[in-house]
Amino acid sequence: MINLAKEDIKHTLGKFIVTAMGVGMLLGIVFIMMGVYRGMIVDAEVLLNDLNVDLWIVQENTLGPFAESSRVHEDLKYTLKSIQGIDKSEAITFQNIQLPFENKKISVTAVGFDIYGEINPINPARLTQGRILKTDHYEIVVTDKTGFKLQDKIPLGRNIYTVVGITHGTVSSGGDSLVYVSLKDAQELQFLYSNKEIQNDRARGIINKDAHMVNAIVAVTKVGYSVDNLAKDIRKWQHKSVYTRAEQKTVLTKNVVEKASKQIGMFTAILIGVSTIIIALIIYTMTLEKMKEISIMKLIGLPNSMIIKMIVEETLLLGVLAFVFGNIFSHLIYEKFPKRVVLEIPDAWMLFGVVVIASILASFIGVKKVINADPTAAIGG
Amino acid sequence: MNNQAIKAENLSKHFGKDDNFVDVIQNASFSINKGELVALVAPSGAGKTTLLLMIGCVEDPSSGRIWLGDEEVYNNKWLTKETRKIRREKIGFIFQAHYLIPFLNIIDNLTLLPQANGISDKEAKAKAKELLKYFDIADKEKAMPSQLSGGQNQRVAIARALMNNPEIVLADEPTAALDMQRSVDVIKMLKKIALEQNVAIVMVTHDDRMLPYCDRIMKIENKTIVFEVK
Repeated sequence: MINLAKEDIKHTLGKFIVTAMGVGMLLGIVFIMMGVYRGMIVDAEVLLNDLNVDLWIVQENTLGPFAESSRVHEDLKYTLKSIQGIDKSEAITFQNIQLPFENKKISVTAVGFDIYGEINPINPARLTQGRILKTDHYEIVVTDKTGFKLQDKIPLGRNIYTVVGITHGTVSSGGDSLVYVSLKDAQELQFLYSNKEIQNDRARGIINKDAHMVNAIVAVTKVGYSVDNLAKDIRKWQHKSVYTRAEQKTVLTKNVVEKASKQIGMFTAILIGVSTIIIALIIYTMTLEKMKEISIMKLIGLPNSMIIKMIVEETLLLGVLAFVFGNIFSHLIYEKFPKRVVLEIPDAWMLFGVVVIASILASFIGVKKVINADPTAAIGG
Repeated sequence: MNNQAIKAENLSKHFGKDDNFVDVIQNASFSINKGELVALVAPSGAGKTTLLLMIGCVEDPSSGRIWLGDEEVYNNKWLTKETRKIRREKIGFIFQAHYLIPFLNIIDNLTLLPQANGISDKEAKAKAKELLKYFDIADKEKAMPSQLSGGQNQRVAIARALMNNPEIVLADEPTAALDMQRSVDVIKMLKKIALEQNVAIVMVTHDDRMLPYCDRIMKIENKTIVFEVK
């Protein structure tokens, strides 16, 4: 049995492939948008996973430093350590800073931690060059995406920092690169003001006493103790909010990433809609180009089903081919995006399903044209 | 055995309503036998193509009766659900231009219709090859229509019209796009087919030079059919 779609495509193979590549690029963008969303989820959890702690103690009635400003006293970590069931507890700071790099500023998130403490946020597996922080002052570990090299000097606040280590794949929940400094440096950067400002504050009767504040205290529980029960006990304290790791993950995915993911979801839905319309228009144009042949086929008696089959098969093949090109295209360019793009096979299958449905919907317009084609148009010149 | 291929009784066709009402054919009655090559002649706009389309089960007549062979197909309404099936099984069409499907090669152009009729690929190809040989273009079976000359393509178009062993062939100015010599060749070929395959051929033509090759000349005069005595 002759396959009309196959023969028609063979006849205009170059045009068909170029069209599929065009639609494929659009689908590739859709796939990358899905990857951007996945990337945001992964990014959001990088620090959470690297810290690998069980409890987050933050300022009362706040969701913690990932979601909003939080300040607690650094010495709270000692109080926590005294609780039976707490194995380790450390203070940690987060702040957005601008690093000067080649006449421009790079936005990064600085993580401050006690370098002599028991909890280290630098995951050794991510450290690709150099070493971790070894002294309390003026050393910094940066992410490779910042562009800094080992031993580079970075002026920050009142001091010059030296790059001693470079990590890979470390980003904040907002997608900014992470840098690591000692807790003392971080506190100085975050809470110490310039001499002029301190003098001005004193003249106003304000005494700067915030230097020993941090953004959160993190803790690891001892084996055999219930994290939920410990969190429940600490919640009884005044002026503190406590989150387990699972709750902090929910804060990240729900409160921090949710809006962005909805935005990306909207873009993805619009792009899928646009792709459907473009496929429909292409099929409509391809059908219009064949109207004379379709009229002849109808006049000589070919059943509609045979002609409709040709249109639907061509549309599906265009969709599938565009999907393949889209996958290749997205895999070729995804690493060039400034933020993490995670392309996942289940997403690809979901997109494939959407493309098939979109193609079937798009073919309706061509099918309608076939059904309405007038066989008499073939006769009488 | 009934030798009648086409019979029409009181066939009428009009278009439009009220001020736009146009009467094209009025109470036309005629019959055409198998093996006959009949020329359909009339001035432009007289209704030749409309008549051809009514016989070909494409255009609805306004009233009247039509028989194709022994089967009555129209009696003020189509008596069959699928007029397209009748066309597929009983009628061959030839057009002014060859109108071959450009994306199918010659053999596929010929086997498309029989395959739609449920004939096996092998059987359809055998028939196509036989016809291509008959029309002296056997070596072109794998060629695309764009690779053939106008005359060769028209021969393929005639072969296509015969692929379903039709009882009737309707030809709408099949020589309009050809030069005199090729036109005569095509008419002689149609005449030969009519005789050898016992097919009734109705051919619309404007070219009086083709009329001597036809068995009968059917004219549309005063909106009805008259046969010119040769």
